[in-house]
Amino acid sequence: MEVKTRAFKGKANETLADPVLQKSLENVYSGFHLRRIQAGGATPGWDEQRDRARAIKAHTIANLDYYLDMLVRNVEAKGGKVHFADDGKEAARFVVDLARSRGVKTVIKSKSMVSEEIGLNDLLEAESIEPVETDLGEYIIQLARETPYHIIAPAIHKTPEQVAELLAAKSGGPKKTTAKEMTAVARTLLRDAFQRADMGVTGVNFAVAETGSITLVTNEGNGRMCTSAPRIHVALMGMEKVVPSMADLSAFLRILIRSATGQRISAYVSVVNGPRAAGDEDGPEEFHLVIVDNNRSRLLKDAALRESLYCIRCGACMNACPVYRKVGGHSYGWVYPGPIGAVVSPVMSGLKEGKALPFASSLCGACREVCPVRIDIPSMLLHLRSELAEGADRSQRSAGVVDRASFRLWRFGMSGRGRFDLGARLVRFVLWPLSRRGWTGWLPFPLGGWTSTRRFKVPAGRSFVARWRNRQGGA
Amino acid sequence: MTDRNAFLEKIADHLGKKRDRRVQPDVSTHLAETREQASARADRMRKEARDNATALLGALQEGATAQGWVVHRVPSPEDAADAVIDICQRSAARSVLLARMEALSRVPVEKTLKAAGIDVTVAARPEGEAYSEEARLAVRRAAFTADVGITGVDYAVAETGTVVLHPRGGVSRLVSLAPPRHIAIIEKGQVLPSLDELFALEREAFHAGRLTSSYNLISGPSRTGDIGATIVQGVHGPVEVHMVLIG
Repeated sequence: MEVKTRAFKGKANETLADPVLQKSLENVYSGFHLRRIQAGGATPGWDEQRDRARAIKAHTIANLDYYLDMLVRNVEAKGGKVHFADDGKEAARFVVDLARSRGVKTVIKSKSMVSEEIGLNDLLEAESIEPVETDLGEYIIQLARETPYHIIAPAIHKTPEQVAELLAAKSGGPKKTTAKEMTAVARTLLRDAFQRADMGVTGVNFAVAETGSITLVTNEGNGRMCTSAPRIHVALMGMEKVVPSMADLSAFLRILIRSATGQRISAYVSVVNGPRAAGDEDGPEEFHLVIVDNNRSRLLKDAALRESLYCIRCGACMNACPVYRKVGGHSYGWVYPGPIGAVVSPVMSGLKEGKALPFASSLCGACREVCPVRIDIPSMLLHLRSELAEGADRSQRSAGVVDRASFRLWRFGMSGRGRFDLGARLVRFVLWPLSRRGWTGWLPFPLGGWTSTRRFKVPAGRSFVARWRNRQGGA
Repeated sequence: MTDRNAFLEKIADHLGKKRDRRVQPDVSTHLAETREQASARADRMRKEARDNATALLGALQEGATAQGWVVHRVPSPEDAADAVIDICQRSAARSVLLARMEALSRVPVEKTLKAAGIDVTVAARPEGEAYSEEARLAVRRAAFTADVGITGVDYAVAETGTVVLHPRGGVSRLVSLAPPRHIAIIEKGQVLPSLDELFALEREAFHAGRLTSSYNLISGPSRTGDIGATIVQGVHGPVEVHMVLIG
């Protein structure tokens, strides 16, 4: 996917000024965030499940080479094929070449964020192979030729009216009014694709090292369709998606689904253990698992960012985030928006391009609070900020000359008693003419940003220390 | 493609270590549990499911209703067949697809449906016939045109109102997915309390070399909230799902 992280500020301002998008973004709160809170509250042993899942992730990532090796051996033992891709280009190229060598004309796809990373659809189209997204949200996005707005609700920014127009244009039929009628139109259109396609491409929610299995979580049934109807199944997984044992799945499914939609479980969970067995009635003859790095190793290498790889992509942090809920998913400019996106998108797609993202947070900590595996997102955002300000790579530094000079001055002023007192008096001296009744509401450049939305109290005429001395002396 | 060893070496390198050939599993993961312990635990779980079979049917009824199943509880296999006919007639079904499963040999569905004038197809190649591409496509065509798909279950899970199906000879992946209505027939003793028991038993099946090529957890009708955050049933899977509980 094209990296547009540089445009954060402009896109965010556009979104803030767009009443239709702001209205749609309200659904993030009512539809997901509130439901998650209710689901967590109603789950016995909720916090224990989270702690257990976190401990498993920590152990698995710390031994990732070992568990990936185990996964590979067990997939192969059951007749599946495993492929490694260092970057997105390599992964996409592999899928396209496989499709071509098998004479595939249509590929049906179940929601996969890795597929978004690697820009698979564009490459398939360039080779005259038709990709059809089958998650309804992804399908709407594909028709609109846009990118996902949210990792579990890709089309949450589209109004029903906009969806109706897209579906009518595609089907050639009349414009429908209710969500139910529109869903029926999409069902008919996609049923045709399910029967035509020779290849199904899916993501992976969890891969089980011990048994060589992959797990897919869906509500619509498209994951099942993509692994049942075509003769080839290709699963794309980020290299961090592995868990050790099949018996670990219960804890992970519980926390993932409750955190994502507030459901006790999704309508479907599919566990794929390999290609069809000899006696089966149907199922794919070929099963390919593509394990993708695509700069995840940058997150792995930096011990301060490593736990971002514990992420199970539930979307709870974006639903809880006061920034995401206002600036929306497209502002972040790459596959992963919201708080976790502000950590992983800049690192994976280039810190220099995405330097605005780690600053798109008030550090309120709501994301850490809701994260089912308790990822400390605020600390990682601070780490990235300091990396940008003072990191070894000077070309990536974000702090400008004014910032640097002001903070040097600040350090100088704060590190001596006399200088501090002098500074305080100086501030009062400067602010006094700009203030009325002890408050100032306007500061000149470069400080004007501070006063555009709030007022400052001018320091009192006599400092606390002076008054204290006076009291002591008077007593 | 990138060489496997190069890929894994790089990961080990980024973790600041040499590649590990043996790792002691952390106590948080079930991998730390030995085969013998896992098998003993599975035995205890099966016994508990048998001992509490009646209570678990009740718990399933509750869990399944919450997930959007329409639940019919009947005392005998004959009553189950009547419940099935009733569902089919109410939805004006003309063609029904059956999986070939043990439960369906005890519940006289096929006979009763045919007597009611409903077209019945078994979603499987004839017993003894080898797999072929034509057979697969025939099953797929039947699945995409039938009005109702009927299956037994391999397990049910009370916690989440879930039905578990293992595709195999006689059980197409599509029979519970493609038709607009699915009826699952569940017998006493098939219900597990929670997902913990289900995955522990699947793990044991893996140890015993019995793990199937795939399996599905089905917990209610197919649904979406992708248009205007309104929940709609029946996107790619069934719009309506029924559980017939016997016992």
